[in-house]
Amino acid sequence: MNIKIASQRVWGTISKQGAVLAILVLMIMMLFFKTNFYTAYNWLDMLRSAAILEIVAFGVTVAVICGGCDLSVGGTLSFGGIAAILLINIGFPIWLAIIIAVLGGAFVGFINGFLVVHQKTEPFIITLGMGMLLKGVCQVLTDAHPLPSKVPAFMEISNSKFFASIPSLVVYMVILFAAFHYLMRYTSFGRNCYAIGGNYEVAEYSGIKVIPTKWAAFIISGATAALAGVLLASRMNTGSSVYGDNTGMLVNCGVVIGGTSFAGGVGGIRESFIGLFVIQILINCMSMLGLDSYYQKLFEGILIVTIIGLDCFFRMRKRESV
Amino acid sequence: MKRDISARFTRSLRNNLVLVGIIALIVVTAIIEPKFISSANLTNVMRQLWPLPFIALGMTFVIIGGFIDLSVVGMISLSGVVAASLINPLGQVGAILSGILLGGMMGYLNGFVLTTVGAMIQAEVLFITFGMSSIYTAIALLLTNAETLRIARSTKPYNIFTALGSGTVGMIPVVLIVFLVILVIMHLFYKKTLAGRSISLMGGNKEAAFLTGYNVKRSMRLVYTISGIMSGMGAVSLVSRVTTATATSGIGYETNAILCVVVGGTSLKGGKGSVIRTMLGVLLVVLLGNCMNLLGLSTFMQTVMRGAVLVIAIWLDNRREL
Amino acid sequence: MGENILVVKDVCKYFPGVTALDNVSIEVPRGIVYGIVGENGAGKSTLMKILSGVYEKDGGTVVFNGETIEHTTPIQALQRGLSIIYQEFNLVNSMTVGENIFLGRFKENRGMRGTHKKARELLDSIGSTINTYTMVGDLSASEMQMVEITKALSFDSKLIIMDEPSSSLTSEELKRLGIIINQLRDKGISIIYISHKLDEIFEYCDIVTILRDGRVIDTKPVGEYTRNEMIAKMVGRTIENEFPPRAHFVAEPLLEVRNLNTKKLKDINFTLHRGEILGLVGLVGAGRTEIIRALYGADKARGHKIFLRGKPVNIRNPKQAMRAGMGLVPEDRKHEGLILPFSVEGNITMASLEALTKYGIVNRAAERDIAKRQIDSLSIKTPTQTTKMISLSGGNQQKCIVGRWLEIEPDILILDEPTRGIDVGAKYEIYLLMNKIVESGGAIIMISSELPEVLNMSNRVLTICEGRITGEFKPEESSAEEIMERAIG
Repeated sequence: MNIKIASQRVWGTISKQGAVLAILVLMIMMLFFKTNFYTAYNWLDMLRSAAILEIVAFGVTVAVICGGCDLSVGGTLSFGGIAAILLINIGFPIWLAIIIAVLGGAFVGFINGFLVVHQKTEPFIITLGMGMLLKGVCQVLTDAHPLPSKVPAFMEISNSKFFASIPSLVVYMVILFAAFHYLMRYTSFGRNCYAIGGNYEVAEYSGIKVIPTKWAAFIISGATAALAGVLLASRMNTGSSVYGDNTGMLVNCGVVIGGTSFAGGVGGIRESFIGLFVIQILINCMSMLGLDSYYQKLFEGILIVTIIGLDCFFRMRKRESV
Repeated sequence: MKRDISARFTRSLRNNLVLVGIIALIVVTAIIEPKFISSANLTNVMRQLWPLPFIALGMTFVIIGGFIDLSVVGMISLSGVVAASLINPLGQVGAILSGILLGGMMGYLNGFVLTTVGAMIQAEVLFITFGMSSIYTAIALLLTNAETLRIARSTKPYNIFTALGSGTVGMIPVVLIVFLVILVIMHLFYKKTLAGRSISLMGGNKEAAFLTGYNVKRSMRLVYTISGIMSGMGAVSLVSRVTTATATSGIGYETNAILCVVVGGTSLKGGKGSVIRTMLGVLLVVLLGNCMNLLGLSTFMQTVMRGAVLVIAIWLDNRREL
Repeated sequence: MGENILVVKDVCKYFPGVTALDNVSIEVPRGIVYGIVGENGAGKSTLMKILSGVYEKDGGTVVFNGETIEHTTPIQALQRGLSIIYQEFNLVNSMTVGENIFLGRFKENRGMRGTHKKARELLDSIGSTINTYTMVGDLSASEMQMVEITKALSFDSKLIIMDEPSSSLTSEELKRLGIIINQLRDKGISIIYISHKLDEIFEYCDIVTILRDGRVIDTKPVGEYTRNEMIAKMVGRTIENEFPPRAHFVAEPLLEVRNLNTKKLKDINFTLHRGEILGLVGLVGAGRTEIIRALYGADKARGHKIFLRGKPVNIRNPKQAMRAGMGLVPEDRKHEGLILPFSVEGNITMASLEALTKYGIVNRAAERDIAKRQIDSLSIKTPTQTTKMISLSGGNQQKCIVGRWLEIEPDILILDEPTRGIDVGAKYEIYLLMNKIVESGGAIIMISSELPEVLNMSNRVLTICEGRITGEFKPEESSAEEIMERAIG
């Protein structure tokens, strides 16, 4: 790859991605305030806080690249944590409980896939409905109370530190990032996902097994969300049905903010990481500036409307300039 | 001829599977639990129904127009909070009107934002209305500081306001009368007026409607304004019934309203549907809830059931031929 | 093995009401360029789709590379060594060149690096310098074509079918294509070259087959054809009573368009007269539809002036166009014309609703009358007025759209491919309707890819090529060959 193309691509990424721009704007803004924003501790903390949503986003990205969308991950997240804690509390070994919880998430993904892959209609509202269903399941399982874990070792998973300073969640996130990045960029499955999202008919004519691949993408999305749920439950040492309340919308928005389009076929794990991180930086900046959580919600809304709105706007301009 | 009738019957049965299922469940409940058809129970249902019918009515127009509105959550919350807090300075009628007016304004704003950025596909509309919802909820949180606003019922002065929610004329709740009047108006609006027809034409085929001289953007703003006004009315009826308002009172109404519309048989693909059928949907969804109550299912289990019904209904809707 | 790579014998294909292919036989030897020419609808693309496995044939045999082929799928055809390069490229725009060449075969090449390495080798072999890491969406049309050709080579193709390969190329790019084609031929690969453009056919092809109405009209070495003979055989059809007698009512100017420019259109000027049927002739993508969409206010255009009955009018959206007395029957019936979930009645009346509305209320009784009147006068075959649009045949659907406009009696009716996909009887009825409109003082702008239709129906024809008007003809006074020549530029 020569330098010209590389530099073109760097510039292309920046100009195309509102997310990178948003991060730059926020970082410049924070220069004018006397806060702890520019400290290593704060950045590690931001990474740790972002880790759970980032992990969910990795899985969702796979589904979105295939031309799907998974709004049920919020429910799956809650479900994964609750299932793991329930099993641990009745005496399952921790590793087995986690595996079962993740398999549960995969099963949710399997159902999502079943509902979506054979139809050409859009998967948004149906996965939204799945999210609602799962929230109900979580409430039934916990009676809508927080469910604490009785085994202290479970808490260790997400609250320990590596090398005395790096939070374990950050490490998990980095590992999963690498794994998903590899999956999507360097494996046959990942490339087929891009082809399916990019042009379904062409992918089909090229002999790619479109339905199983898309189905698998939903299964991956579900399993990842459940895994994130387990980590979140370990971090809080409780499982709760409210953990996933806005996760579905927020993660999917973050994925789009990063530049992975619902049209499918573009974007990637790296882009989604940045997209979710924008949201995290925004939250961090606001709490640094002493704005309460209501303002955070307000700015979250404004951010979503602005970025998705701009995305629409540019596409409309492109459509109309025939 | 006979064969034709039976074919038509099976087809209409297949197209209305969800309806039939729910009716069957209600009949079974009525047999198992005679309490179900007691007038006390039905009066109770009638009272607890609100504000869902209003929201579902507004949502019907959005869905017939081929879109979706997740911002009802924020609109209900903010309208309710504003109506409750304006009851002192503006008086009771003023509070009612301001709640409805604010709803209409928020709805128009949604439509304005969506048409300005040129959001046309379901994904874009879904996320932008979700973002708008966050903004409205955040404003409501900021106004109330997340506290519950109370309207004292015992003090005489607020009887007009509260009558809307809990008063009766003879046996019939005031709110039902108000709603039926609105329902008839909206039904006539949809069936008889050019504006109503424009909405379903837009839902049926935006490009064809545009090429035949219809102003699609105006129809889009119209459906969102209707949804906003209905959310405002719903919010007022809710506050007046429970005599409190919080910034979170709208949560869950978006999925419930979509559920009612879909169960009623209005297709999420847009273009066709009926206000009356949505009311059938509301009735069935509410009676289903009541049945589950009587059968001793927890509210959480009911969420599961509602989610399942939503998912199945959308799935069947997608499989249905045009 | 034999010397023929492909032998097609007596292949037939029927669509409801239409015989698309009628005992078509061709024999393609190895290592030559085989031209197939014919008008739109002659059956070229149907034949290609049968070869590639998109359609199933209804009769006859196909022998490819010594092997009789019964059922096939696009991917199987590829693996056997038969590639098709369509006008619409079969590429994923959001992926790199290398990956597109080996789409779905990531594993065979041991990952990304191997893919790009092999892609590089293949591109080098045809002398292309395209970077394999570039996104296909960033390429020009001719580069995309190179990628398609490379993709075909990667399957070790023995036969490559190119469907209108030059339609999106500049003349410079076309020369490069010529070089590539010669290279491929030298490697022993056969090419079927489908085109409208006779210059290219004469330049590249060795043997040429002419198709018309689903039949093979002639096959011989290219040197034995003259240009005029070829055109005559392509267009010459003499089915009697296919068209009604031409209407002659042309009167004073009704519409004048001055300096219409868009990204694609360059300086379009024309006048339409009362009582006239004006035909726009050009290849697909020449800018015909763009002209009428810009005129109708559906697309944005800059700086043009429109005069209606001598007075300037401003048309920025379809609504204003309708107010000015225009109506449009669009090209894509399903996506731009019909409201499929609606009834026949709702589809017919949708343009006239405004006139039936008083105080915002639509007069339903009048609406039903209108629908009934149009269904009767156009003899639309529908069980009831409230039957869903989707259950009607194509011809009847089209009549509903025409009826929609007839009801508001537009001065100017624009018809974009009005008879596409409908059977002969319904076509004739639509022609009669067109004559009736001009008889009553209206005017029609018609776009059609079927040359005989335009020539027999129009009073005047404008040829469009690459966004410009390149000629004006009176069909009675000029031959089909002249017009075709001007339209293909």
